Amino acid sequence: MSRHVVCQAQELPPGGRKIVEVRGRTVGVFNVNGTYYALLNRCPHRNAPLCQGVVTGLVQGPEPYKIEFSRDGEVLRCPWHGWEFDITNGRSVFNPHRIRAKSYDVAVEPADAPDDDPSIETFPVVVEQNIVVLYLGRSRPNRLPASSVGTNRAGTTRAASTEVRE
Amino acid sequence: MAIDTIERTSTDARGSASTRLTTIDTDIHHGIYSKTDLFPYLSKVTADRFNDYGLIGGNLYAYNGGVRGYRADVVDAHSPGGLGAAATNIDRTLADLMDGCGVGIGLLTGSSLYSAAAMPDLDYASELCRAFNDFTIEHWLARDARFRFAMAICPQDPQQAAQEIDRIGGHPGVVAIIMPCGAPRAFGQRFYNPIYEACERNNLTVAIHFATEGTGVNPPPTSAGYPTYYCESRQARPSFYQAHLASMVFEGWFDKFPTLKVAMLEAGFAWVPPYIWKMDQDWKGLRYQTPWVNRLPSEYILERVRFATQPVEEPNPPEAIHSIVEWMDGKNTLMFASDYPHWDWDDPQQTLNTLKPEIRQRIFHDNALDTFPKLRA
Repeated sequence: MSRHVVCQAQELPPGGRKIVEVRGRTVGVFNVNGTYYALLNRCPHRNAPLCQGVVTGLVQGPEPYKIEFSRDGEVLRCPWHGWEFDITNGRSVFNPHRIRAKSYDVAVEPADAPDDDPSIETFPVVVEQNIVVLYLGRSRPNRLPASSVGTNRAGTTRAASTEVRE
Repeated sequence: MAIDTIERTSTDARGSASTRLTTIDTDIHHGIYSKTDLFPYLSKVTADRFNDYGLIGGNLYAYNGGVRGYRADVVDAHSPGGLGAAATNIDRTLADLMDGCGVGIGLLTGSSLYSAAAMPDLDYASELCRAFNDFTIEHWLARDARFRFAMAICPQDPQQAAQEIDRIGGHPGVVAIIMPCGAPRAFGQRFYNPIYEACERNNLTVAIHFATEGTGVNPPPTSAGYPTYYCESRQARPSFYQAHLASMVFEGWFDKFPTLKVAMLEAGFAWVPPYIWKMDQDWKGLRYQTPWVNRLPSEYILERVRFATQPVEEPNPPEAIHSIVEWMDGKNTLMFASDYPHWDWDDPQQTLNTLKPEIRQRIFHDNALDTFPKLRA
Protein backbone atom coordinates (compact mmCIF):
# COMPACT_ATOMS: atom_id res chain seq x y z
CA MET A 1 0.00 0.00 0.00
CA SER A 2 1.27 3.46 -0.78
CA ARG A 3 0.15 6.75 0.72
CA HIS A 4 -0.38 9.88 -1.33
CA VAL A 5 -1.32 13.33 -0.13
CA VAL A 6 -4.03 14.71 -2.40
CA CYS A 7 -4.71 18.17 -1.04
CA GLN A 8 -5.72 20.10 2.01
CA ALA A 9 -9.11 19.04 3.24
CA GLN A 10 -10.54 22.52 2.85
CA GLU A 11 -9.77 22.41 -0.87
CA LEU A 12 -12.27 19.60 -1.26
CA PRO A 13 -15.54 20.67 0.37
CA PRO A 14 -18.71 18.55 0.29
CA GLY A 15 -19.78 18.11 -3.32
CA GLY A 16 -16.26 18.75 -4.55
CA ARG A 17 -14.06 16.54 -6.64
CA LYS A 18 -10.39 16.53 -7.49
CA ILE A 19 -8.78 14.45 -10.20
CA VAL A 20 -5.15 13.61 -9.59
CA GLU A 21 -2.53 11.61 -11.39
CA VAL A 22 -0.77 9.17 -9.11
CA ARG A 23 2.01 6.93 -10.31
CA GLY A 24 0.77 6.75 -13.87
CA ARG A 25 -2.89 6.34 -13.04
CA THR A 26 -5.55 9.00 -12.76
CA VAL A 27 -7.83 8.95 -9.74
CA GLY A 28 -10.87 11.04 -8.88
CA VAL A 29 -11.30 11.96 -5.21
CA PHE A 30 -14.80 12.98 -4.16
CA ASN A 31 -16.20 14.55 -1.02
CA VAL A 32 -19.71 13.15 -0.66
CA ASN A 33 -21.50 14.83 2.21
CA GLY A 34 -18.31 15.04 4.25
CA THR A 35 -16.89 11.62 3.50
CA TYR A 36 -14.15 11.13 0.95
CA TYR A 37 -14.08 8.47 -1.75
CA ALA A 38 -11.76 7.72 -4.65
CA LEU A 39 -12.37 5.99 -7.97
CA LEU A 40 -10.00 5.14 -10.77
CA ASN A 41 -10.67 7.64 -13.56
CA ARG A 42 -11.40 4.89 -16.03
CA CYS A 43 -14.78 3.43 -16.84
CA PRO A 44 -14.81 -0.40 -17.04
CA HIS A 45 -16.96 -0.13 -20.18
CA ARG A 46 -14.81 1.78 -22.65
CA ASN A 47 -12.04 3.31 -20.52
CA ALA A 48 -13.63 6.76 -20.56
CA PRO A 49 -12.46 9.38 -18.06
CA LEU A 50 -15.20 8.33 -15.67
CA CYS A 51 -14.48 10.86 -12.95
CA GLN A 52 -15.17 13.76 -15.33
CA GLY A 53 -18.80 12.70 -15.53
CA VAL A 54 -21.83 14.34 -14.01
CA VAL A 55 -22.31 13.82 -10.25
CA THR A 56 -25.95 13.19 -9.53
CA GLY A 57 -28.12 11.01 -7.33
CA LEU A 58 -29.92 7.73 -7.57
CA VAL A 59 -32.96 7.82 -9.84
CA GLN A 60 -35.38 4.96 -9.28
CA GLY A 61 -38.79 4.01 -10.60
CA PRO A 62 -40.74 1.92 -8.10
CA GLU A 63 -43.58 1.62 -10.57
CA PRO A 64 -44.22 2.81 -14.13
CA TYR A 65 -44.34 6.60 -14.50
CA LYS A 66 -43.12 7.19 -10.94
CA ILE A 67 -39.64 8.65 -10.52
CA GLU A 68 -37.87 8.87 -7.17
CA PHE A 69 -34.63 10.72 -6.59
CA SER A 70 -32.43 10.01 -3.61
CA ARG A 71 -28.79 9.93 -2.45
CA ASP A 72 -28.03 13.25 -4.14
CA GLY A 73 -24.32 13.54 -4.86
CA GLU A 74 -23.57 9.82 -4.54
CA VAL A 75 -23.87 8.70 -8.16
CA LEU A 76 -21.42 9.39 -10.97
CA ARG A 77 -22.61 9.20 -14.58
CA CYS A 78 -19.87 8.36 -17.08
CA PRO A 79 -19.26 11.08 -19.69
CA TRP A 80 -19.33 8.48 -22.48
CA HIS A 81 -22.39 6.24 -22.81
CA GLY A 82 -23.86 7.25 -19.46
CA TRP A 83 -23.23 4.23 -17.25
CA GLU A 84 -23.92 5.13 -13.60
CA PHE A 85 -21.68 4.23 -10.63
CA ASP A 86 -22.10 4.51 -6.87
CA ILE A 87 -19.29 6.83 -5.81
CA THR A 88 -19.19 5.31 -2.32
CA ASN A 89 -18.17 1.85 -3.52
CA GLY A 90 -17.60 1.94 -7.28
CA ARG A 91 -20.47 -0.43 -8.02
CA SER A 92 -22.54 0.21 -11.13
CA VAL A 93 -26.19 1.05 -10.66
CA PHE A 94 -27.48 -1.34 -13.32
CA ASN A 95 -25.40 -4.37 -12.33
CA PRO A 96 -23.72 -3.69 -8.99
CA HIS A 97 -22.45 -7.21 -8.45
CA ARG A 98 -20.68 -7.66 -11.76
CA ILE A 99 -19.81 -4.22 -13.10
CA ARG A 100 -17.82 -1.85 -10.94
CA ALA A 101 -15.26 0.88 -11.20
CA LYS A 102 -12.10 0.44 -9.20
CA SER A 103 -12.22 2.28 -5.91
CA TYR A 104 -9.50 3.28 -3.48
CA ASP A 105 -9.35 4.18 0.17
CA VAL A 106 -9.16 7.77 1.24
CA ALA A 107 -8.61 9.20 4.70
CA VAL A 108 -8.49 12.61 6.26
CA GLU A 109 -5.47 12.92 8.48
CA PRO A 110 -3.74 15.59 10.46
CA ALA A 111 -1.40 17.51 8.23
CA ASP A 112 1.63 16.61 10.29
CA ALA A 113 0.91 12.91 10.50
CA PRO A 114 3.99 11.13 11.81
CA ASP A 115 4.35 8.86 8.79
CA ASP A 116 4.94 11.79 6.44
CA ASP A 117 8.14 11.14 4.61
CA PRO A 118 10.73 13.30 6.36
CA SER A 119 12.96 13.32 3.31
CA ILE A 120 10.53 15.54 1.42
CA GLU A 121 11.05 19.19 2.05
CA THR A 122 8.12 20.77 3.86
CA PHE A 123 7.13 24.34 4.38
CA PRO A 124 5.46 25.90 7.35
CA VAL A 125 2.05 27.24 6.47
CA VAL A 126 -0.23 29.31 8.57
CA VAL A 127 -3.40 27.39 7.92
CA GLU A 128 -4.45 24.93 10.52
CA GLN A 129 -5.25 21.98 8.36
CA ASN A 130 -6.13 18.43 7.73
CA ILE A 131 -5.09 16.70 4.54
CA VAL A 132 -6.84 14.25 2.25
CA VAL A 133 -4.77 11.14 1.76
CA LEU A 134 -5.23 8.52 -0.93
CA TYR A 135 -4.14 4.93 -0.35
CA LEU A 136 -3.30 2.72 -3.32
CA GLY A 137 -3.12 -0.95 -2.58
CA ARG A 138 -4.80 -3.56 -0.44
CA SER A 139 -4.54 -2.48 3.18
CA ARG A 140 -7.43 -0.49 4.41
CA PRO A 141 -6.92 2.42 6.76
CA ASN A 142 -9.63 3.47 9.15
CA ARG A 143 -11.81 5.76 7.14
CA LEU A 144 -12.44 8.96 9.03
CA PRO A 145 -15.45 11.05 8.20
CA ALA A 146 -14.24 14.58 7.71
CA SER A 147 -16.56 15.83 10.40
CA SER A 148 -15.10 13.55 13.04
CA VAL A 149 -11.52 14.55 12.52
CA GLY A 150 -10.04 17.05 14.91
CA THR A 151 -10.08 20.50 13.45
CA ASN A 152 -8.14 23.68 14.00
CA ARG A 153 -4.96 21.84 14.81
CA ALA A 154 -2.01 24.09 14.46
CA GLY A 155 0.91 22.53 12.70
CA THR A 156 3.14 22.26 9.75
CA THR A 157 1.81 20.81 6.56
CA ARG A 158 3.34 19.57 3.39
CA ALA A 159 2.91 22.22 0.70
CA ALA A 160 2.97 19.71 -2.09
CA SER A 161 3.57 16.04 -2.53
CA THR A 162 5.98 14.88 -5.13
CA GLU A 163 3.65 11.99 -5.91
CA VAL A 164 0.42 13.82 -6.47
CA ARG A 165 -0.29 16.37 -9.09
CA GLU A 166 -3.27 17.66 -10.97
CA MET B 1 -18.86 -8.55 -19.05
CA ALA B 2 -15.55 -8.85 -17.27
CA ILE B 3 -14.60 -6.48 -14.52
CA ASP B 4 -11.83 -4.32 -15.83
CA THR B 5 -9.46 -3.03 -13.24
CA ILE B 6 -6.27 -3.67 -15.13
CA GLU B 7 -3.84 -0.83 -15.48
CA ARG B 8 -3.65 0.77 -18.88
CA THR B 9 -0.53 -0.58 -20.53
CA SER B 10 1.67 0.93 -23.16
CA THR B 11 -0.11 -1.01 -25.89
CA ASP B 12 -3.59 0.26 -25.16
CA ALA B 13 -2.53 3.82 -24.51
CA ARG B 14 -2.80 6.09 -27.52
CA GLY B 15 -0.61 4.09 -29.85
CA SER B 16 2.67 5.25 -31.19
CA ALA B 17 2.62 7.04 -34.50
CA SER B 18 4.50 4.24 -36.16
CA THR B 19 2.01 1.49 -35.34
CA ARG B 20 -1.46 2.95 -35.19
CA LEU B 21 -3.84 3.20 -38.08
CA THR B 22 -4.48 6.49 -39.77
CA THR B 23 -8.16 6.63 -39.03
CA ILE B 24 -10.81 8.15 -41.26
CA ASP B 25 -13.74 9.32 -39.15
CA THR B 26 -16.94 9.50 -41.20
CA ASP B 27 -19.23 11.28 -38.72
CA ILE B 28 -18.05 14.36 -36.82
CA HIS B 29 -20.83 16.71 -35.77
CA HIS B 30 -19.77 20.31 -36.16
CA GLY B 31 -21.94 23.36 -35.96
CA ILE B 32 -22.47 27.00 -35.22
CA TYR B 33 -21.99 28.39 -31.73
CA SER B 34 -24.33 31.30 -32.19
CA LYS B 35 -26.93 32.34 -34.73
CA THR B 36 -24.64 35.26 -35.54
CA ASP B 37 -22.18 32.81 -37.09
CA LEU B 38 -24.49 32.58 -40.11
CA PHE B 39 -25.29 36.28 -40.45
CA PRO B 40 -22.43 37.04 -42.87
CA TYR B 41 -23.87 34.49 -45.29
CA LEU B 42 -27.54 35.43 -45.07
CA SER B 43 -29.56 38.22 -46.61
CA LYS B 44 -30.55 40.96 -44.17
CA VAL B 45 -34.15 39.83 -44.18
CA THR B 46 -33.28 36.20 -43.53
CA ALA B 47 -30.69 37.07 -40.89
CA ASP B 48 -33.31 39.06 -39.00
CA ARG B 49 -35.75 36.21 -39.24
CA PHE B 50 -33.18 33.64 -38.15
CA ASN B 51 -32.19 35.85 -35.24
CA ASP B 52 -35.77 36.35 -34.09
CA TYR B 53 -37.23 32.92 -34.76
CA GLY B 54 -34.40 30.49 -35.49
CA LEU B 55 -35.12 26.94 -36.51
CA ILE B 56 -38.11 24.70 -36.15
CA GLY B 57 -37.90 21.24 -34.80
CA GLY B 58 -35.44 21.46 -32.02
CA ASN B 59 -35.38 18.51 -29.71
CA LEU B 60 -38.60 16.55 -30.05
CA TYR B 61 -38.02 14.64 -26.81
CA ALA B 62 -36.65 17.49 -24.69
CA TYR B 63 -34.06 14.92 -23.79
CA ASN B 64 -30.83 13.36 -24.98
CA GLY B 65 -27.92 11.70 -23.16
CA GLY B 66 -24.72 12.97 -21.57
CA VAL B 67 -24.85 16.71 -20.98
CA ARG B 68 -27.28 18.22 -23.51
CA GLY B 69 -26.18 15.50 -25.92
CA TYR B 70 -22.46 16.08 -25.42
CA ARG B 71 -19.80 14.00 -23.78
CA ALA B 72 -19.53 15.46 -20.27
CA ASP B 73 -15.75 15.58 -20.66
CA VAL B 74 -15.83 17.85 -23.71
CA VAL B 75 -18.84 20.07 -23.03
CA ASP B 76 -17.69 23.63 -22.33
CA ALA B 77 -18.44 27.25 -22.99
CA HIS B 78 -18.27 26.51 -26.73
CA SER B 79 -21.09 23.99 -26.52
CA PRO B 80 -24.26 25.73 -27.59
CA GLY B 81 -27.72 24.96 -26.37
CA GLY B 82 -30.70 25.03 -28.69
CA LEU B 83 -28.73 24.71 -31.92
CA GLY B 84 -28.07 21.00 -31.73
CA ALA B 85 -25.17 19.32 -29.95
CA ALA B 86 -22.14 20.00 -32.12
CA ALA B 87 -18.47 20.81 -31.97
CA THR B 88 -18.03 24.55 -32.39
CA ASN B 89 -14.46 24.92 -31.17
CA ILE B 90 -12.09 23.97 -33.99
CA ASP B 91 -9.00 24.01 -31.78
CA ARG B 92 -10.61 21.66 -29.30
CA THR B 93 -11.78 19.33 -32.07
CA LEU B 94 -8.30 19.19 -33.52
CA ALA B 95 -6.77 18.49 -30.11
CA ASP B 96 -9.34 15.99 -28.86
CA LEU B 97 -10.11 14.07 -31.98
CA MET B 98 -7.76 14.65 -34.89
CA ASP B 99 -4.53 14.79 -32.88
CA GLY B 100 -5.77 13.06 -29.75
CA CYS B 101 -7.27 10.03 -31.46
CA GLY B 102 -5.14 9.90 -34.58
CA VAL B 103 -7.88 10.84 -37.03
CA GLY B 104 -6.17 11.63 -40.32
CA ILE B 105 -9.29 12.56 -42.27
CA GLY B 106 -12.52 13.70 -40.64
CA LEU B 107 -15.89 14.08 -42.32
CA LEU B 108 -17.85 17.01 -40.91
CA THR B 109 -21.51 16.16 -40.96
CA GLY B 110 -23.09 19.18 -39.29
CA SER B 111 -26.20 18.95 -37.14
CA SER B 112 -27.22 22.57 -36.60
CA LEU B 113 -29.15 22.65 -39.87
CA TYR B 114 -30.69 19.19 -40.06
CA SER B 115 -34.05 20.66 -39.16
CA ALA B 116 -34.01 22.62 -42.42
CA ALA B 117 -35.14 19.34 -43.94
CA ALA B 118 -38.37 19.57 -41.98
CA MET B 119 -39.34 23.18 -42.62
CA PRO B 120 -42.41 24.13 -44.66
CA ASP B 121 -40.76 27.28 -46.04
CA LEU B 122 -38.35 25.77 -48.55
CA ASP B 123 -36.70 29.08 -49.48
CA TYR B 124 -35.87 29.92 -45.87
CA ALA B 125 -34.59 26.41 -45.26
CA SER B 126 -32.50 26.39 -48.42
CA GLU B 127 -30.93 29.75 -47.62
CA LEU B 128 -29.96 28.54 -44.15
CA CYS B 129 -28.34 25.47 -45.70
CA ARG B 130 -26.39 27.64 -48.12
CA ALA B 131 -25.18 29.84 -45.26
CA PHE B 132 -24.12 26.85 -43.17
CA ASN B 133 -22.20 25.44 -46.12
CA ASP B 134 -20.33 28.69 -46.67
CA PHE B 135 -19.65 29.00 -42.95
CA THR B 136 -18.18 25.50 -42.89
CA ILE B 137 -16.00 26.04 -45.95
CA GLU B 138 -14.65 29.35 -44.68
CA HIS B 139 -14.08 28.36 -41.07
CA TRP B 140 -13.53 24.60 -40.89
CA LEU B 141 -12.24 23.47 -44.28
CA ALA B 142 -10.00 26.51 -44.59
CA ARG B 143 -8.59 25.86 -41.14
CA ASP B 144 -7.26 22.31 -41.44
CA ALA B 145 -6.61 20.13 -44.46
CA ARG B 146 -7.77 17.01 -42.60
CA PHE B 147 -11.40 18.11 -42.60
CA ARG B 148 -13.90 17.10 -45.30
CA PHE B 149 -17.55 18.10 -45.48
CA ALA B 150 -20.89 16.42 -46.09
CA MET B 151 -22.80 19.49 -47.22
CA ALA B 152 -26.25 20.50 -46.00
CA ILE B 153 -29.19 20.51 -48.38
CA CYS B 154 -32.93 20.84 -48.08
CA PRO B 155 -34.06 17.56 -49.68
CA GLN B 156 -37.70 18.66 -49.82
CA ASP B 157 -36.74 21.17 -52.51
CA PRO B 158 -34.77 19.08 -55.03
CA GLN B 159 -34.35 21.94 -57.52
CA GLN B 160 -32.72 24.31 -55.04
CA ALA B 161 -30.79 21.44 -53.50
CA ALA B 162 -29.36 20.58 -56.92
CA GLN B 163 -28.41 24.22 -57.50
CA GLU B 164 -26.60 24.27 -54.16
CA ILE B 165 -24.78 21.04 -54.99
CA ASP B 166 -23.65 22.54 -58.29
CA ARG B 167 -22.64 25.79 -56.54
CA ILE B 168 -20.21 24.28 -54.04
CA GLY B 169 -19.96 20.59 -54.97
CA GLY B 170 -16.77 21.23 -56.89
CA HIS B 171 -14.93 22.34 -53.76
CA PRO B 172 -12.26 19.72 -53.07
CA GLY B 173 -13.30 19.43 -49.43
CA VAL B 174 -16.97 18.79 -50.17
CA VAL B 175 -17.34 15.05 -50.61
CA ALA B 176 -20.98 14.22 -49.83
CA ILE B 177 -24.46 15.53 -49.15
CA ILE B 178 -26.46 14.86 -46.00
CA MET B 179 -30.06 13.64 -46.30
CA PRO B 180 -31.72 13.61 -42.84
CA CYS B 181 -33.92 10.52 -42.47
CA GLY B 182 -37.05 12.40 -41.52
CA ALA B 183 -38.89 12.91 -44.82
CA PRO B 184 -42.39 12.85 -46.26
CA ARG B 185 -41.15 10.64 -49.13
CA ALA B 186 -38.70 7.75 -49.21
CA PHE B 187 -35.34 8.50 -50.80
CA GLY B 188 -35.66 6.10 -53.73
CA GLN B 189 -38.56 8.08 -55.20
CA ARG B 190 -37.99 9.99 -58.43
CA PHE B 191 -39.02 13.20 -56.71
CA TYR B 192 -35.41 13.43 -55.54
CA ASN B 193 -33.78 12.68 -58.89
CA PRO B 194 -32.44 16.23 -59.41
CA ILE B 195 -30.44 15.84 -56.20
CA TYR B 196 -28.90 12.55 -57.28
CA GLU B 197 -28.16 13.82 -60.77
CA ALA B 198 -26.31 16.74 -59.20
CA CYS B 199 -24.36 14.32 -57.00
CA GLU B 200 -23.35 12.39 -60.10
CA ARG B 201 -22.18 15.60 -61.80
CA ASN B 202 -20.10 16.52 -58.76
CA ASN B 203 -18.84 13.09 -57.72
CA LEU B 204 -20.52 13.33 -54.30
CA THR B 205 -21.70 10.50 -52.08
CA VAL B 206 -25.24 10.39 -50.70
CA ALA B 207 -24.94 10.28 -46.91
CA ILE B 208 -28.05 9.49 -44.88
CA HIS B 209 -28.21 10.41 -41.19
CA PHE B 210 -31.15 10.19 -38.80
CA ALA B 211 -32.71 13.53 -37.82
CA THR B 212 -36.00 15.42 -37.90
CA GLU B 213 -38.23 12.33 -37.73
CA GLY B 214 -41.61 13.44 -36.48
CA THR B 215 -40.85 17.17 -36.66
CA GLY B 216 -42.03 19.89 -39.02
CA VAL B 217 -43.51 18.59 -42.26
CA ASN B 218 -42.35 15.04 -41.54
CA PRO B 219 -44.60 12.13 -40.56
CA PRO B 220 -44.46 10.52 -37.11
CA PRO B 221 -41.29 8.54 -36.58
CA THR B 222 -42.99 5.14 -36.51
CA SER B 223 -46.11 3.51 -37.88
CA ALA B 224 -47.29 3.47 -34.27
CA GLY B 225 -46.92 7.21 -33.94
CA TYR B 226 -44.60 8.91 -31.52
CA PRO B 227 -42.43 6.96 -29.09
CA THR B 228 -42.96 8.45 -25.62
CA TYR B 229 -39.37 8.50 -24.42
CA TYR B 230 -36.00 9.36 -25.90
CA CYS B 231 -34.51 5.92 -25.23
CA GLU B 232 -37.61 4.37 -26.78
CA SER B 233 -37.24 6.58 -29.85
CA ARG B 234 -33.69 5.33 -30.41
CA GLN B 235 -35.04 1.82 -30.89
CA ALA B 236 -36.87 3.00 -34.01
CA ARG B 237 -33.72 4.25 -35.70
CA PRO B 238 -32.92 1.23 -37.86
CA SER B 239 -36.41 1.48 -39.34
CA PHE B 240 -35.65 4.98 -40.66
CA TYR B 241 -32.73 3.69 -42.66
CA GLN B 242 -34.47 0.47 -43.64
CA ALA B 243 -37.40 2.35 -45.18
CA HIS B 244 -35.15 4.56 -47.30
CA LEU B 245 -32.91 1.70 -48.37
CA ALA B 246 -35.79 -0.54 -49.42
CA SER B 247 -37.16 2.37 -51.41
CA MET B 248 -33.85 2.79 -53.19
CA VAL B 249 -33.72 -0.91 -54.02
CA PHE B 250 -37.27 -1.30 -55.33
CA GLU B 251 -37.43 2.03 -57.16
CA GLY B 252 -34.42 0.87 -59.13
CA TRP B 253 -32.27 3.66 -57.74
CA PHE B 254 -29.04 1.67 -57.90
CA ASP B 255 -29.43 1.12 -61.65
CA LYS B 256 -30.64 4.67 -62.27
CA PHE B 257 -27.55 6.10 -60.59
CA PRO B 258 -24.90 3.48 -61.20
CA THR B 259 -21.96 5.56 -60.02
CA LEU B 260 -23.35 6.81 -56.72
CA LYS B 261 -22.42 5.39 -53.33
CA VAL B 262 -24.60 5.60 -50.24
CA ALA B 263 -23.27 6.14 -46.72
CA MET B 264 -25.51 5.25 -43.77
CA LEU B 265 -24.32 7.34 -40.83
CA GLU B 266 -25.03 6.72 -37.13
CA ALA B 267 -27.19 3.72 -37.92
CA GLY B 268 -25.19 1.02 -36.15
CA PHE B 269 -25.07 -2.13 -38.25
CA ALA B 270 -26.15 -5.28 -36.41
CA TRP B 271 -29.56 -4.94 -38.06
CA VAL B 272 -28.13 -5.22 -41.56
CA PRO B 273 -27.71 -9.01 -41.97
CA PRO B 274 -31.31 -10.04 -41.13
CA TYR B 275 -32.58 -7.07 -43.11
CA ILE B 276 -30.86 -8.06 -46.33
CA TRP B 277 -31.67 -11.75 -45.83
CA LYS B 278 -35.36 -10.94 -45.60
CA MET B 279 -35.25 -8.60 -48.57
CA ASP B 280 -33.61 -11.27 -50.72
CA GLN B 281 -36.16 -13.85 -49.58
CA ASP B 282 -39.12 -11.60 -50.40
CA TRP B 283 -37.67 -10.54 -53.75
CA LYS B 284 -37.40 -14.14 -54.95
CA GLY B 285 -41.17 -14.62 -54.84
CA LEU B 286 -42.23 -11.05 -55.68
CA ARG B 287 -39.60 -10.14 -58.26
CA TYR B 288 -42.18 -9.90 -61.02
CA GLN B 289 -43.82 -6.89 -59.31
CA THR B 290 -40.69 -4.75 -59.64
CA PRO B 291 -38.96 -6.54 -62.50
CA TRP B 292 -36.46 -3.73 -63.06
CA VAL B 293 -34.78 -4.94 -59.88
CA ASN B 294 -32.59 -7.37 -61.73
CA ARG B 295 -30.39 -8.63 -58.95
CA LEU B 296 -30.71 -9.78 -55.39
CA PRO B 297 -31.30 -6.72 -53.20
CA SER B 298 -28.35 -7.74 -51.03
CA GLU B 299 -26.06 -7.48 -54.05
CA TYR B 300 -27.01 -3.85 -54.65
CA ILE B 301 -26.68 -3.03 -50.97
CA LEU B 302 -23.40 -4.77 -50.28
CA GLU B 303 -21.83 -3.31 -53.41
CA ARG B 304 -23.05 0.27 -53.13
CA VAL B 305 -24.03 1.04 -49.54
CA ARG B 306 -21.54 1.57 -46.72
CA PHE B 307 -22.44 1.58 -43.06
CA ALA B 308 -20.73 3.78 -40.48
CA THR B 309 -19.97 1.72 -37.41
CA GLN B 310 -21.16 4.00 -34.62
CA PRO B 311 -22.92 3.21 -32.34
CA VAL B 312 -21.40 -0.28 -32.51
CA GLU B 313 -23.85 -2.73 -30.98
CA GLU B 314 -22.68 -4.77 -28.00
CA PRO B 315 -24.02 -8.28 -28.63
CA ASN B 316 -24.27 -10.93 -25.96
CA PRO B 317 -22.07 -12.91 -26.21
CA PRO B 318 -19.59 -10.20 -27.26
CA GLU B 319 -17.83 -12.43 -29.77
CA ALA B 320 -21.03 -12.51 -31.85
CA ILE B 321 -19.86 -9.21 -33.31
CA HIS B 322 -17.45 -11.20 -35.47
CA SER B 323 -20.30 -13.17 -37.03
CA ILE B 324 -22.32 -10.02 -37.65
CA VAL B 325 -19.36 -8.38 -39.38
CA GLU B 326 -18.85 -11.50 -41.49
CA TRP B 327 -22.55 -11.84 -42.41
CA MET B 328 -22.65 -8.36 -43.91
CA ASP B 329 -19.21 -8.54 -45.51
CA GLY B 330 -18.17 -5.89 -43.02
CA LYS B 331 -14.60 -6.10 -44.24
CA ASN B 332 -15.87 -4.22 -47.28
CA THR B 333 -19.09 -2.54 -46.10
CA LEU B 334 -18.21 -0.97 -42.71
CA MET B 335 -16.39 2.28 -42.10
CA PHE B 336 -15.48 3.83 -38.78
CA ALA B 337 -17.34 6.82 -37.35
CA SER B 338 -16.87 8.41 -33.93
CA ASP B 339 -19.91 10.72 -33.64
CA TYR B 340 -17.70 13.21 -31.79
CA PRO B 341 -18.62 15.18 -29.62
CA HIS B 342 -21.75 13.27 -28.64
CA TRP B 343 -22.12 11.28 -25.43
CA ASP B 344 -22.64 7.97 -27.24
CA TRP B 345 -19.53 8.33 -29.36
CA ASP B 346 -17.13 5.50 -30.19
CA ASP B 347 -13.45 5.95 -29.41
CA PRO B 348 -11.47 4.66 -32.42
CA GLN B 349 -8.89 3.05 -30.14
CA GLN B 350 -11.56 0.91 -28.51
CA THR B 351 -13.89 0.14 -31.36
CA LEU B 352 -13.97 -3.28 -33.04
CA ASN B 353 -10.46 -3.87 -31.78
CA THR B 354 -10.86 -7.64 -31.60
CA LEU B 355 -11.05 -7.83 -35.39
CA LYS B 356 -8.04 -8.90 -37.37
CA PRO B 357 -5.65 -6.07 -38.26
CA GLU B 358 -6.31 -6.41 -41.98
CA ILE B 359 -10.05 -6.03 -41.39
CA ARG B 360 -9.49 -3.04 -39.12
CA GLN B 361 -7.37 -1.47 -41.84
CA ARG B 362 -10.34 -1.73 -44.20
CA ILE B 363 -12.91 -0.46 -41.70
CA PHE B 364 -10.86 2.36 -40.22
CA HIS B 365 -9.38 3.63 -43.48
CA ASP B 366 -9.74 1.92 -46.84
CA ASN B 367 -13.53 1.52 -47.01
CA ALA B 368 -14.11 5.22 -46.42
CA LEU B 369 -11.86 5.99 -49.39
CA ASP B 370 -14.01 3.69 -51.52
CA THR B 371 -17.24 5.22 -50.20
CA PHE B 372 -16.31 8.85 -50.75
CA PRO B 373 -14.46 8.93 -54.08
CA LYS B 374 -13.34 12.53 -53.60
CA LEU B 375 -11.28 11.49 -50.58
CA ARG B 376 -8.82 9.96 -53.03
CA ALA B 377 -8.53 13.13 -55.05
